[in-house]
Amino acid sequence: MLAACLWLICVQPGASADGQEIPRLTFAQLVDSLRANFDVTQTIKSYSGKEVEIHGFIIPAGPPDLSFFLLSRVSAMGNYCCEVPVGQDETVYVYAARDVKIHYDPLRVYRVRGAFEAGPHTDRVYGVSLFRMRNARVEEAVGAKIFRIGGP
Amino acid sequence: MTVLAVAVKYLRGRFVPSGLTVLSVALGVTLLVASLLLTRSIREGFIEGTTDYGLVVGAKGSPTQLVLNVVFRMDLPTPNIVYSTYRRLLDDARVEVAVPVALGDAYQGFRYVATTGAYFAASPWRRRVFVISGGRFFQDDALEQPTYEAVLGAEAARRTGLRVGDRFYEGEEQAEYPLTVVGILRPSGGADDRTIFFSLPTYWQMNEVSRKMKIKPLTAILVRAKRMSDLPGLHRGLNVATETQAVFPSAVLLDIFNLLSAAEEVLTAILATVAFIVLLYLFVSLYSATLERKREIATMRALGARRSTILAIVLWESCALATLGGAAGILGGHGAAHLATSWLASRGGLVTNRFPFSTLEPMALGAVILLGALAGLLPAVLAYRTEVAENLAPLS
Repeated sequence: MLAACLWLICVQPGASADGQEIPRLTFAQLVDSLRANFDVTQTIKSYSGKEVEIHGFIIPAGPPDLSFFLLSRVSAMGNYCCEVPVGQDETVYVYAARDVKIHYDPLRVYRVRGAFEAGPHTDRVYGVSLFRMRNARVEEAVGAKIFRIGGP
Repeated sequence: MTVLAVAVKYLRGRFVPSGLTVLSVALGVTLLVASLLLTRSIREGFIEGTTDYGLVVGAKGSPTQLVLNVVFRMDLPTPNIVYSTYRRLLDDARVEVAVPVALGDAYQGFRYVATTGAYFAASPWRRRVFVISGGRFFQDDALEQPTYEAVLGAEAARRTGLRVGDRFYEGEEQAEYPLTVVGILRPSGGADDRTIFFSLPTYWQMNEVSRKMKIKPLTAILVRAKRMSDLPGLHRGLNVATETQAVFPSAVLLDIFNLLSAAEEVLTAILATVAFIVLLYLFVSLYSATLERKREIATMRALGARRSTILAIVLWESCALATLGGAAGILGGHGAAHLATSWLASRGGLVTNRFPFSTLEPMALGAVILLGALAGLLPAVLAYRTEVAENLAPLS
């Protein structure tokens, strides 16, 4: 029963284009999963290698073809809206599957789906990261909710 | 005689009209292919020419102006920031590398960039490597003892004709402070090829105003964070400050690409119109040719040719015209794109000049042939329905 409740809290399934259910992770879950010594919980690790969906703002910290970018809970443009993410736990390093063909808007929420990785990893170009998505596909998330009031 | 041979014979018989039709198809396809390749080339030029650094820090103002000037050496420099901003960033635990740059004057149109040796330092995360092809890098000299040594980008050296050991200046004011070429860089494929580099003390001493300033000015600082996840925090802190702004270079480029995509949509509409006009011309050409030779078709039918054979002959003709025009257009498009990018590059434009043939070309040729067949369908049906008795009647 407890495990089932935990699963419901952690996972909000979403339908993929091919009809399969893809679990959706939130930034709140990523923050909660952080443990001492740069470690993360087994629950979040269990998604490693699996396709997940995360909604967030694109921070184009990599090349302009968006083959790599950061996915954040907060937009890079809103200087006074809210607390800026300060560490690895609130930022997902996204490696896009191919050239991302989107109309980039820093104030728009995007739905990113890709193979999730949790745990410390060092990339030659992009350095140390805690959460990553590989072979990611990006699309606009119309009406997406980033802050879930009363949620996890 | 095969159907194809008959079709070719017909086309040869109408050499001038057929040639003009091929030319019109070729010109239309050339325009389409060249436009697509040029658009891609401009986009790739910006992508390849961008900086390796995550943030560009400068004075408050236009982020686009800051990035275009500091990264691509276009537009005018933004107002100055103070040197202490650079010192603060160097001391920030989140910053791995901070490189100060000052931009201002130019020699024969090639921008001066004053910086430190860190600008050229190799690193695993850097896509661009700076290699000296002749001479050496300039020294990071002391503030009081500028050496006036300059390192030239490959294109700047080639176009100005300056060599290692040459001394140069531009403008009366700088006659007292001539620069000496100590090194020339190998081509790196970016705006740095068109740049003249020297040290910050040299820059400050060369300019009358900065010479007198106690707190020395900079145009911008290029920043690499130790962890990418620290970039949003650094970005926010520098933007909330009253004097500075921090910009993600890719964000500015993506904004430019968004503007370009609006122009591309207009271009697509124009190109679609051109394609339609070319198809219409092909249709009119084949239609009038079919009307002209109704008697010949009737004769062929009377000699035993089946309706389907007549249909195939006209379709083969239209496909042959489209194939010749399409192939010539694809080659012409590549040639035109190559010429246009060479011209743009010579004028300081950021473009790539690589147009390898890919799966796109066979697909484009296939599409042209298919559309050609479509344009020939109605004339082919007209030929198919040609009545022998009606068209073999005496002309008088």
